[in-house]
Formats: sequence, C-alpha cells, structure tokens
Amino acid sequence: MQHENKRLRLVVVGNGMAGINTVEQILKLSPGAYDITVFGSEPYPNYNRIQLSYVLEKSKSIDEIILNSREWYAANGIELHTGTTVAYIDTAAKTVTTSDGAAAPYDKLIIATGSKPFMLPVAGVDKQGIVGFRDIADCETMLRAAGQYRKAAVIGGGLLGLEAAKGLLKLGMDVTVVHLMEDLMERQLDHTAALLLRQELELQGLKFAMGKKTEEFLGETRVSGLRFSDGTTLDAEFVVMAVGIKPNVELARSSGLEVNRGIVVDDLLRTSAEDVYAVGECNEHRGVCYGLVAPLFEQGAVLAKHLCGVDTVPYAGSVVSTQLKISGVEVFSAGEFMDAPDLTVVRMHDEWRRIYKKVLIRGGKVAGGVLIGDSSQSARLQQWIRTGTVMTDDIHATIMGTAVAQPGGGAAELADEEIVCGCNGVTKKMIVDVIRERDLTTVDEIKMATGATRSCGGCKPVVEQILKLTLGDKYDSAAAKKQGICDCTTLSRDEVVAAIKEKGLITSKEVRYALDWNNKEGCSKCRPALNYYLGMIWPQEHEDEKDSRFVNERMHGNIQKDGTFGVVPRMYGGVTTPEDLRLIADVAVKYNVKLVKVTGGQRLDLLGVKREDLPAIWSDLGMPSGYAYAKALRTVKTCVGSQFCRFGTKDSMGMGIVLEKKYERLDMPAKFKMAVNGCPRNCAESSTKDIGIVGNEGAWEIYVGGNGGIKARLAELLCKVRTDEELIEIVSAFTQYYRETGKYLERTSDWIERVGLEHVKAVIVEDAAGRKALADRMEAALERVREPWQEILDNPNLRDRLFGEIKVPVGGQTE
Amino acid sequence: MTKSELEASGYYRIGAVGDFPERMGRLVHIGAAEIAVFKTSEGAIHALANRSPGPRGGTIVDGIVSGDVLYDPICDWRIGLADGAVRAPDRGQVAVYPVRIVDDEVYLGPVPEARPQTEA
Repeated sequence: MQHENKRLRLVVVGNGMAGINTVEQILKLSPGAYDITVFGSEPYPNYNRIQLSYVLEKSKSIDEIILNSREWYAANGIELHTGTTVAYIDTAAKTVTTSDGAAAPYDKLIIATGSKPFMLPVAGVDKQGIVGFRDIADCETMLRAAGQYRKAAVIGGGLLGLEAAKGLLKLGMDVTVVHLMEDLMERQLDHTAALLLRQELELQGLKFAMGKKTEEFLGETRVSGLRFSDGTTLDAEFVVMAVGIKPNVELARSSGLEVNRGIVVDDLLRTSAEDVYAVGECNEHRGVCYGLVAPLFEQGAVLAKHLCGVDTVPYAGSVVSTQLKISGVEVFSAGEFMDAPDLTVVRMHDEWRRIYKKVLIRGGKVAGGVLIGDSSQSARLQQWIRTGTVMTDDIHATIMGTAVAQPGGGAAELADEEIVCGCNGVTKKMIVDVIRERDLTTVDEIKMATGATRSCGGCKPVVEQILKLTLGDKYDSAAAKKQGICDCTTLSRDEVVAAIKEKGLITSKEVRYALDWNNKEGCSKCRPALNYYLGMIWPQEHEDEKDSRFVNERMHGNIQKDGTFGVVPRMYGGVTTPEDLRLIADVAVKYNVKLVKVTGGQRLDLLGVKREDLPAIWSDLGMPSGYAYAKALRTVKTCVGSQFCRFGTKDSMGMGIVLEKKYERLDMPAKFKMAVNGCPRNCAESSTKDIGIVGNEGAWEIYVGGNGGIKARLAELLCKVRTDEELIEIVSAFTQYYRETGKYLERTSDWIERVGLEHVKAVIVEDAAGRKALADRMEAALERVREPWQEILDNPNLRDRLFGEIKVPVGGQTE
Repeated sequence: MTKSELEASGYYRIGAVGDFPERMGRLVHIGAAEIAVFKTSEGAIHALANRSPGPRGGTIVDGIVSGDVLYDPICDWRIGLADGAVRAPDRGQVAVYPVRIVDDEVYLGPVPEARPQTEA
C-alpha cells in the first residue's frame, strides 16, 4: 500500500471459514493490496464446516459444501498450499516455516487455525473406533463405521453431538447420546426447552443416557463399550466424542505468542506479536473463545477493514446464537436463557403443538430468548438481543405469534452490517446491493448472486423480507416466486389441498383461477401435481386430465432418448407362464423391438417401440399395462416362497400376486414399489421398498419407507400381523395415508422422514377406527381405476387423440 | 391466401381445426419430416420440428402445453410455440413452420426438410 510497485505479503495459516472469509473481505475492500499465500493442513480448499452434518447424513456431497474452489484461489492470485502444516512462526524475522521445512516471509500474518475436538482424558480413549467430529476426515470415518457397525455412542449432548448423532441414526446405526448433565444443550436451553428437544429427538429414534459420566472405554484394541461412574455400562462399537472444542494454539504457543485458552487478541484481532493477527475459533477475545460461525464473520470483517486501512469500529464481542440443524427440530437460542432474579420472562408453552417460546428481559430490554418448535422469528429476536432493544407490545405480539404480519417485517430494523446468512457470511447490505444493482426479484436470484439461503436455508424468511423491503411496490409480481408448489403460486401443498376440499374445486383450471395462479395455464410442475391431488380428493368426480400428464403417463409407455418407447406388460408378482413368454417373444419379433431387458422389478421390458405402434403392440400382447412408467404401484417383487423353497415359511408369490392385483393402477404421489418375502432371508429385498413384507412362521412383518434409488434408505418396521386380512388392511391404510398426505413426487422415504414413523404408527397401527376409515377410502379409490391399454384400444376417439398421426405424402403432385 | 394459392406455395393440408386436440401435440409426417403440431387453449395452431433442443435428445410432441409455451418432456425447457425459441435461462431454437387456417382447414408448410430436391 505504501509502495506503488511492491505489494505487501499476507500469509494466512489456516484454510478454513475464518481465514478465507477474512481474505474474501480483504479482496472486496482493496483488491490487489496484498500478495496472499494460504496454508491449510487439510487436503481440501475452504469448505463449509458447519454443513458437515449434511455430508454425514448424505444429503450433501463434499463437493457441495466446498465454498471456494481451487479455481477461485487461482483467479484471485492466491497461492494455496493444501495438506501443508505450518510448524513455526519467527516473529522477529517475520517468516513462517512449514513442517516440511519450506519458509515463507510475511508482512502481515493471520492465524486462523480453528479448533479441534476435546477428547475426554479417560482410560482407553486411545482405542480404535473413537473419533471426534470436526473435519471431512472424521466425517469419512463415521460414514465407514456406519457401514460396518451397528451400535454407536455419541458423548456430548450439545449442538455438535446431537447433529452427529442424528447423522449416524440416519445412516442406520443404533445411536445413544451420552450426556453428563440432566439436560441437553444446557448451555443454550432451560430445562423445559431441553426436555422438549429430547422428546422430539426420541420420536425420531435417538436414545439418551442422561446424567452419565464416562469413566472408561471398554474393549481390547477396539472400543466395545463405555463404563460410567455409576457402574453401569453401555455397548458401543463406535464412539463419537463431541463434548466440546479446544482452540488450536500449539503453533502460536511454540512461536512465543501470548496464549491463554485461545490465542489472546485485542479488539483489532492483534496478537502479542507485531503484525500477527488471529481470527476465529483459535483466538480468545476479552476472555471468550467462540465456537460458532457468526463471531468469526464479525471478527473477519473488523480484521479485513483494519488490514485494508479502512476505518472500523473495534470488535466488541458477539452475541452468540444457536440454531440446531436437524430436520424436523427447530431450536434457537441466543443471549440469556435461564430464569434469574433480575430478569423478567415472557413464556409460552404450547404442549399440543410442541412449541416453546421464551423471551428474557433485563431492565426493560430484550436480553435473550429461546424458541423451540417454531423458530420463524429467530432473526428478529437475535437482532433485538444484539442491539438491546426495549421490549414493546409489538415485540411481544410478534414473538408470541399474536401479531398481524407487517410488510417488510423486521428487516427494516436490521443494521446494514448485520449478518443475515450465517452459513455464508452474507450481510443485509450485500443483499440490498445485489437487488439494486442487478434488478433481482426473487430469493433464488439472491441465492445465486450472494450465496445467502444456499446452505441451511434458515435465513430464507429474512432474505424474503429484505427483498420485499427493497423492492417496495415492485415486490408483488415477485411474490409468486417464493415457496409455493411451483412458480405459479405462493401456496404450499397443504394450502392447495385444503382449498380444493373447502371450495369444492374439481378441475385444475378451477384451482388455478380460484386460487389466483399467476400463470392461468399452469406449468410442468403444478399441472401433473394438481391432476393428482384432484383425483385423490375426488375419486368419483374428477376426470383425469391427459394434457396435464407427463409424457410417460399420458402415452402409457416409457419414452426413451430416441423418441421410441419401452413397453412392460404386467407380470403379477414376477410370475409368468411359458405361453405368455412365447407370446411376448413373438410380439417382440413382429415389432422389431431393439432390446428385451429383464428389469429390476422382475419384469420384461420391450425397448425401442415406435410411438405409433404402441396401441397395436398392446393389442397383440393382450396383457394389462405393467405401469413401469407411472407414479403408481410399479411392481410387487417376490421370492419363490413356500410353494417351492426349502426355507419358505409363507406363500410370498401368492401374496405378492394378490397385492399387485389389488393396488395396481392407482395414482400415488410418486412411484411405489413393494416386495413380499417368504422368510427373513429377504431374497426379494424388502428393505429398499416403499412397503416390504417379510413372512415369518405365523406372522408377516411390514416394513415401510425403504428406497433403493437416488437417496437410499432402509425400510423401518411398521408392525407385525398374524393374518393375511390384517396385512391387507394395514397395506391399504398405509398407502392411502401416504396418498392423502404426501406431496406430489415425494417418495415414502422422504414422506416418512417428514411426518415421522411414530406418527405413522399412531395413525395406522394404534388407531383401529382410523385405519378402517383409511382402508375404506382406499376401496372407494380402487373402484375407479381402469386398465389403460385396453381403455385406449376400446375408445377410438381417445386412441386418435393420443396416438393418431397425420401422414402427408410428398412429391405426388409436383414431380 | 386462398387454398389453391397456399398449395401452389408449397403448403400441405393437414386436416381440420377440430382434428387437433387442445394442449396435446399431434404428430404430422410430411414425407420424411416429423412435425409436432399443437393447438393452444386459445385455438392458435403451431407447428415445430419434433426434436428436443436439449442436450439429451428426444422428441417434443408429448410435452405439456401451457399458454403459448411448450414444456420439453425430456429436459423441461420452455419452448415458445410461436417462435420455437427456448426461454431463459436455457438457450436453444426449434425449427418452426408456418401454419395457415382457411375455412377451418389447416395448412402447414413449406417444409424444406420434406423435399430434398431444390424447388422455389
């Protein structure tokens, strides 16, 4: 900066969110001010550490959580050394030395080494199978363990421990959370909130060992269990340690910097050595070491301004808030959370909807709050706490949910520098600027431009408010692009379904007009969805709208990339006859099909059939459609079962055929697969089916919510029944409940995660009257289905409308 | 133009207006050329080459029609029925052919692909 030609050398030790966020801010403030070199121990470019729990539960890949690609470093002229650890800082000579002996000089140095998991110092902690949860390598270890072991223990009932536990649970492990205290997240939640959280997580399948102090890890070389101070033990083949974090201070300490718990810094993030700074979880500011993401962005902003010579308010510490990233559990906490004599408390506890809200006030000002079950007001609450806003009737009404929403909401009160998206470090001002500069009108566009909402999505309501506020009157047209079932509406699936019932809407056109769709003809998302919802709600009255069907369901075949179709005839339970096989072979030859394929669902697929030949091939086959193209029951896969198999205890083929004949052709939210097995060897693979049935001596086990597709998920046991009649009633009720509550295109695997297995059990298994009513509605729906191939063959008008082609010979009159 | 003028300028009679269902494509073969013909809810008739502009290939005749836009059944791109242009954010172009309606008869053409021989 002082010399025109010679740029200052900035070295950053630590390639994580704190260091790179600071670098990003420096590049924005004065690009070209520094020659930047970054050292990172991990072999990856900067990634979003707070999203490791998503990688663990496999909802995101490692690539998807990378924040800065290697191309980004290159494009900004940053020299990046991954997999390289800095071993020593010579603060006098102003150089850093790596563990392989290379040295780099600096004019300014930022230490951003982060933190590491704190490992309990108890006997046996060095055994195999005990890991922390801090980086991608830990995550990979956990993913591998989930494939090999079943019983896991997570020590620590804080934020990180619970996220790790939920991730392992999703991977199919039997997970117990061990916690020293009687309450979960006791540093953020009071007793009532902690109890609600625990109940919610127990419903999702987590187990808890509360008030347990781990004294020893059992096992030979590998851990086999835990022994607690009260003498009890817990079996565990895999242990995740998540009791806390420890700032990484070794480098700073050995290089002679002042270190307490963390590297000591002042309000400008300066360490005890000249031109050396520390940012993020490795530092200690005014006696506090932070372990959350928001403070590191706030620190980075101050440090970047200081290093670029821009005036800045010194860093005065952060109000930390916590938001749990577990699907289906909304937890927010910030500032004060425990009752105290000098605090006034506003409290609301709704046991029926399982919502708990608490706002703590000191001297008339908002000092803290806890939200469980509904964290929609979290951003505003945090803002009020941070700025010490005086408590008013309006604030009370807003938090307690009695206020009428005002346009713009709390966004107006947010300060420009307030971080709106904690995951990606996006401030209100950055959002407002891109909206103005690039004329953005939707949250999606803001996401593309700034990264806000891209990660956990928790800030989406605030981003929407900012958008509303910035656009003012222009916002209306943009409103539609928010969160509806498609771009044509802002209404959610449940709102649309409720309105269809209340207003008695029968056709999708009525729905689009009555509910004021902004595109009155709909789009490729809502057209098929509405057609499904209407058929589900009004099985008698609604007439199927062919023009709203996706090509495969309209033409009753599977379209291929060359415009030909695949034809799969029905083969109930995967059982056929020599006569049928011969007929299929003859037809395949006659129509010159390109390939005959045995499908994953035990059927035969004739591939490469010309569109115009479809009705003729159906007619020649004389078999019902196999529905291999539909959002409906595809196949019931069966094993040989007791008819032939030595191990078979139940007639799986027979039951498979009964089920397939009963439920075929009925529209569902998404494709639907079943399997029936004659014994627990499970040759027909029940665990990856929407409904998987396993026969035992004297009983059927019914598993639900399995999926072998893009997002694999093992089916879970719904119940066991003795008789075939009970089996069919449960299958009917389950399937009908899914039809009535599922979102269009939502597979049972996602649906059951959303509504919860325990809830489904309560509705289907425990409530006999409800089950009967569902099964009755299923019967009513089944009465209306018709075999589509024959229907088209029998109806010349329909056949012409769908398949009629016009052929005009060329050249007849001219040449 | 009259019917005879249309035929003289290389148009083909492909049927009556009522032969084309609303919002569902009908395949018309002119010689070797495959053309997807669509009628909108407003009654306008459009003719496009039956080839997806998207990267995965396929045909477009069985796509979902909404207003004057066709949703490609393979890649879900939005194709303008009148001009064949792919709507943003995707980019591409589908060949379109002129359509004339005279006395409830639908005329399509000229279709260069149908006649490799040079004429006009």
